[in-house]
Amino acid sequence: MEELKQKLKVQIIEALNLQDTRPEDIDDNAPLFGDGLGLDSIDSLELMVLLERQYQIKVEDPREGRKILQSVQSMAEFIQSKQQPA
Amino acid sequence: MKGKCYIQGMAAITPQHTFEGDLSQPLVVTHGNMLSCVEPDYRSFIAPNSLRRMTRVLKMGLAASLKCLQDSGIAVPGAIVTGTGKGSLQDTERFIKEIRDYEEKALNPTPFIQSTYNAVNGLIALQQKCTQYNNTFVHRGFSFEHALLDSMLLLHEGTPDVLAGAFDEITPEHFFIKGRIGHWKKEVISNDALYEHVSPGTISGEGAIFFLLAPTATAQSYAQIGGLEMLYKPSPGKLKTALPQFLQKNGLQVTDIDLVLTGANADSNHAHYYEVLNDLTHCPQLPFKHLSGDYETAGAFALWLAGQMLKQQQIPSQWFPMLQQPPARLRNVLIYNHFFGEQHTFMLVQAV
Repeated sequence: MEELKQKLKVQIIEALNLQDTRPEDIDDNAPLFGDGLGLDSIDSLELMVLLERQYQIKVEDPREGRKILQSVQSMAEFIQSKQQPA
Repeated sequence: MKGKCYIQGMAAITPQHTFEGDLSQPLVVTHGNMLSCVEPDYRSFIAPNSLRRMTRVLKMGLAASLKCLQDSGIAVPGAIVTGTGKGSLQDTERFIKEIRDYEEKALNPTPFIQSTYNAVNGLIALQQKCTQYNNTFVHRGFSFEHALLDSMLLLHEGTPDVLAGAFDEITPEHFFIKGRIGHWKKEVISNDALYEHVSPGTISGEGAIFFLLAPTATAQSYAQIGGLEMLYKPSPGKLKTALPQFLQKNGLQVTDIDLVLTGANADSNHAHYYEVLNDLTHCPQLPFKHLSGDYETAGAFALWLAGQMLKQQQIPSQWFPMLQQPPARLRNVLIYNHFFGEQHTFMLVQAV
């Protein structure tokens, strides 16, 4: 899980071109939108694309997306849940 | 053109040091046939959170427009009208490449959004909270001129002021593609030696140039745009008669012109069009493409040059070493430019 979260932070920084942000600056549980990283609605679409490209996970329901993209922790938990064999 | 149109503010990001409007800057010499802009520090104009997403021409367009508004003292213009030949090439190329790489699935929204031609206008409107008329013309070599014509019509109809501009960029990939259809010289040259190499093709360029236009003059006015004439693929006969008619329509004779800025670009395929200026032997004819390179909206750079020269009443000799005898005074500047022989423009720029 820790490894996944670390990898995710690097991927988010790269995908969103967060030039002055380092992986260690992103708190696992801090909100990605609003007060936390200050991302916006276009960033949320970019993060959906990231999930699809890097983890082959397609988020179909936007309401589900809102929960998944709350924080690095919630993203990592979602990825892990999808990667676990049924 | 009925009604008056004055330039109240200007800003230009070009392959020369033009952003501060200082005509004493040295000539930037580029070895190679692709001139790139001298870019300012964008952080003084654009918030970091917005800057991270923008590609080059968007930054250039937004920064030039904001600097122009600063220069004019107007924050929210009555309209935003621009012209671009190619829009954001970087975003277009990235978007197309991703369509191929990801087989039309999982495409990033940002390059798609920013590849649309009106992205710069949208950014300006958002930044300045301007909900007025907003339009972008994409008409190859007439893109800027149509934006200018639309701006002049808006002023005539009562719009208090218009932010008019042009932006275009060149990328290595696009340079390669246009090279294959013969736009650029085969031999590699430096821009300061452009006119010594009369051969097929020219050098490429780019720029983001904005003007704040208003219907009345003030002490801060740079110049008046006295006339604008566009001719699409004119015959030699039509072109020859069009210039005296254009001057006559604006109440001038050939001898009233003090300076001609020409789009002559050492392209032997299209050099003959400039014979239309053969009757203007009494005044200097200065080519400007060695400063800007050639691109669809290079006419905007010529207008910026004319505006600066008229306001400052000087011609920067380091930029125009071919100038032998400067005119005694600068009142009427004629611009003649064409884009690879297709879209031809006469523009009259006058001192206020």
